[in-house]
Amino acid sequence: MAKITIDGKEYEVDPKLSVIQAAAQQGIEIPHFCWHEKLSVAGNCRMCLVEIEKMPKLAIACATQVADGMVVKTMSEKVIKARQAVMEFLLINHPLDCPICDEAGECKLQDYSYKYSVGYSRFEEDKVHKPKRVELGPNVMLDVERCIMCSRCIRFSDEIAKQPVLTFTERGTHVVLTTFPGTVLDNKYSMNVIELCPVGALTSRDFRFKSRVWEMSATESVCTGCSRGCNMNIWVRNNEVLRLTPRLNEDVNSSWMCDSGRLNTFKFVNSQERLNNSLIRKEGTLVETGWDEAIAKVVSELRVFKKTEIAAIGSAYATNEDNFVFQKLMKEIVGTKNIDFVPHMIEGDEDDLLIRADKTPNSSGALQVGVKPADGGLDLKGIIKGIGEGSIKALYVLDDDIAAIPEIASVLPTLQLLIVHSSVKNHTTELADIVLSCSAYAEKHGTFTNFEGRVQRIRPAVATVEQDRALDGFAMSRWDKFASPNDRWGRPIKKDARPSWRILGAIAGAMGAKVKYTTAEDVFKEMTERIPAFKGLSYLKIGSRGTMIKTSETVSSSVQMA
Amino acid sequence: MNEVMETYILPDIKDLHKLDVYEANGGYKALRKALGMKPEEVTDEVKKSNLRGRGGACFPTGLKWTFMPKQTTKPKYLCVNGDESEPGTFKDRQIFELNPHLLLEGTVIACYAMGITTAYLYIRGEYGKWIRMMEKALADAYAKGYVGEKILGSEFTTNVVIHKGAGAYICGEESSLMNSIEGERGYPRVKPPFPAQNGLWGCPTTINNVETISNVPLIINNGWERYSKIGAPKHPGPILVGVSGHVNKPGVYEMPTGVPLLEIIHKYAQGIPGNKAIKAVIPGGSSTMILRGDQLEGAKMDADSMKAAGSSVGTAGMIVMDEDTDLIKVITRISKFYYHESCGQCTPCREGTGWLWKVLKRFENNDARREDIDLLMDVANNIEGNTICALGDAAAWPVQSMIRRFRDEFEKRVKVAEPRMLADASA
Ligand SMILES: Cc1cc2nc3c(=O)[nH]c(=O)nc-3n(C[C@H](O)[C@H](O)[C@H](O)COP(=O)(O)O)c2cc1C
Ligand code: SF4
Ligand code: SF4
Repeated sequence: MAKITIDGKEYEVDPKLSVIQAAAQQGIEIPHFCWHEKLSVAGNCRMCLVEIEKMPKLAIACATQVADGMVVKTMSEKVIKARQAVMEFLLINHPLDCPICDEAGECKLQDYSYKYSVGYSRFEEDKVHKPKRVELGPNVMLDVERCIMCSRCIRFSDEIAKQPVLTFTERGTHVVLTTFPGTVLDNKYSMNVIELCPVGALTSRDFRFKSRVWEMSATESVCTGCSRGCNMNIWVRNNEVLRLTPRLNEDVNSSWMCDSGRLNTFKFVNSQERLNNSLIRKEGTLVETGWDEAIAKVVSELRVFKKTEIAAIGSAYATNEDNFVFQKLMKEIVGTKNIDFVPHMIEGDEDDLLIRADKTPNSSGALQVGVKPADGGLDLKGIIKGIGEGSIKALYVLDDDIAAIPEIASVLPTLQLLIVHSSVKNHTTELADIVLSCSAYAEKHGTFTNFEGRVQRIRPAVATVEQDRALDGFAMSRWDKFASPNDRWGRPIKKDARPSWRILGAIAGAMGAKVKYTTAEDVFKEMTERIPAFKGLSYLKIGSRGTMIKTSETVSSSVQMA
Repeated sequence: MNEVMETYILPDIKDLHKLDVYEANGGYKALRKALGMKPEEVTDEVKKSNLRGRGGACFPTGLKWTFMPKQTTKPKYLCVNGDESEPGTFKDRQIFELNPHLLLEGTVIACYAMGITTAYLYIRGEYGKWIRMMEKALADAYAKGYVGEKILGSEFTTNVVIHKGAGAYICGEESSLMNSIEGERGYPRVKPPFPAQNGLWGCPTTINNVETISNVPLIINNGWERYSKIGAPKHPGPILVGVSGHVNKPGVYEMPTGVPLLEIIHKYAQGIPGNKAIKAVIPGGSSTMILRGDQLEGAKMDADSMKAAGSSVGTAGMIVMDEDTDLIKVITRISKFYYHESCGQCTPCREGTGWLWKVLKRFENNDARREDIDLLMDVANNIEGNTICALGDAAAWPVQSMIRRFRDEFEKRVKVAEPRMLADASA
């Protein structure tokens, strides 16, 4: 350990650290633009200049290794003046188009301007002009004028995404970030440069100009795109999800997420294809009914069949809580042994950074909470076969568009009863007799268990009819807090959807069972009592970074269906 | 003059650039001698000679060589810096043209001393003619076995590769030069690590100026004792001084270090046209601090003396300006150079060099205010010392020294302030 002094206080630190790292570990932020914990050191922005005793000049904290006895000053007059100088330099040619810049509100340059700048400009000359709209790739747009040439995006592409296509050309103030001739920034992780970019130079072509950041709330959640379960934030304005951004979790996804997860997992939440309340097929068409009527109908219809004629398909997209109540209802109340779920593997579509071949967030969780055939029951193959042969007559499907898979779709029409939980209209709801509209992952509390056995929480970011942002403890934006119903964002559209565990609990109740879950955590509590691996856990303990549990089983990929 | 002056680097011998003439005049004798010594002895000789780098910083050459690790599994490299792009500097070119084999001989000796098997000779891209001359000399030296396999029948092998620059001043900065050789963008590297630990391709590397390396055969031939008695004791040896500007005979002159600047101007360069007074002298390339004519008395061309005078030796490229010179125009042009050449990597230099130039441009156009003088000084101060490489300093020093020493020139260009109308109420 090395003893160092920062701003008059002594600390014992790892001698391998740089000054900026050592300070950060002690909770002292040395301002910086180009330095990033996950990338190589560039030392170009000069914002982290600090005074180090016995050094003739100010030194950059990012590239200076600590040494025993080192005395660092991060707040001396000299340091403050140097920071003000760097800020002034960065701003002279900056377009200052904050009013129309997506980054405003989460911009390092803007934040530091308040914190470390003098608040006025001495620059009266003409600014350098550069291209404002450059398509770097399918997902990322570049405004060269806003670029402060920190090279973070270049280093990310080289070092993390391993697609070295970005570079600077030209010299001095005329430096331009660009792609090498004949290349585009189109790797699977390309959008991470958007958050890495400390300014608004790199923006998301999907999110661009959609919202000021302070108009959105940010809710901690987990990506449902694959079994990695990257930690992310769901950004919502007016009850609409506008973007997902990665959230740091060293144990899962570091600071990154993949473009596919970021772009393809939230649009259905806002979609026009969303279902409302519950629907019952009457004379060939699905008709909206009340929850009570639909639940009564589920109960009465299920009673028509023998236990052995009923099968249940859980969902690797559903939460542990949903799957737990589902299997409990099916096995203990309905009494069927035929229960399984559909894996969604895309063999080969994986890498050693984040992306997993299992395209669901919760297959290990589904298994662990009991979505698997009871002794003597049918597994997925058996269920499909049974439906085809007519021995399975009723099927209850939890939140998975199983009819999108041709070999399943072909047998479904022979069923006499198909009950489906879904958030959106899809192939399966088209065939269903009863559809119960369940909350999407962005609308409910719950947990997923990722491929490694990490249990992680999701939280509601989008309000439904039965939830209220303020009363149900949602993350709030400025608009949520201060808008009135007369304001533009004051009248959100809310879907009448319920979490599957709640719907299933109501069905169980209607079938005479004693189930009293009022919150997802009530379900989770029962899981901790009944499933050894969950013993001792609570939502509080899982927190925002998740907890590892022991997983005894892994998902077999023997049934390969996408 | 020449009777007191022995010339070593550019002796007046016809066709010395030709290998046979060079050989006939004692060429490659030093190499033969060095190969008979232990490598450490060669380094020691250079160290004791007190040779200091001619690339601008006057860094002790022998000391630099000792930074190279002895025990290493990695290859080691020498980069001979002939990028020569600092305005006012044109002395390495004379070596390429007049005594190329001296440079090659020095290069091979340096390699031997440091256990280096590949040397890169990095030559400014605009020097097309001189690159071709060096290529010819190198081919001849290879053919005669002075470079290449088992040199002069010894066990020592080293190769020399000529690398052409591509037109960027910044590639003369040693770490940028290495990036340039590697085929990377000419961006200086953050130091530490220093080149001796982590240089070209991550291997131990020494970078020396062309003229520095050309001194090495002289040291070996004459012995450190004799060499170190040439010129100023703490900064000895012959030095090539390039004189340009308002002098009767501009050119490159070889002399011992420590010759008074006034002697260089009046004796070597034969005075100022029209016998005009000297207004200012930039002593060592455009980045060195400008001296007023009245500061020249007693100032000599060696590190200590130039420091005492308030400037530095730099590359010994003197720019002499007579009493009629428009110094605002001069400093505006110098600033434009650094603005144009800043690599753009680090914030203060990238942004500050352009700012300096733009404000100076207003002085040049008589469109500046009095406060702009302090603004210039402040911008220069904010660049100085806060950048990755010394280009930032090189841009700041001329402006700082010009304001300090010629403030009146700036004041003369201030626009006579009219009362400023805050709102036009005449309509
Ligand atoms: C911007 C910049 C440009 C430079 N250009 C040259 C050059 O053209 N030639 C040179 O020898 N040194 C140049 N230098 C100095 C080199 O970095 C280095 O110090 C020198 O080559 C070392 O050689 P020496 O020790 O023999 O003097 C430059 C330095 C800077 C900061
Ligand atoms: S685009 Fe952004 S991340 Fe890339 S160099 Fe410019 S400021 Fe840095
Ligand atoms: S000081 Fe100037 S030339 Fe040197 S690295 Fe910084 S921007 Fe480039």
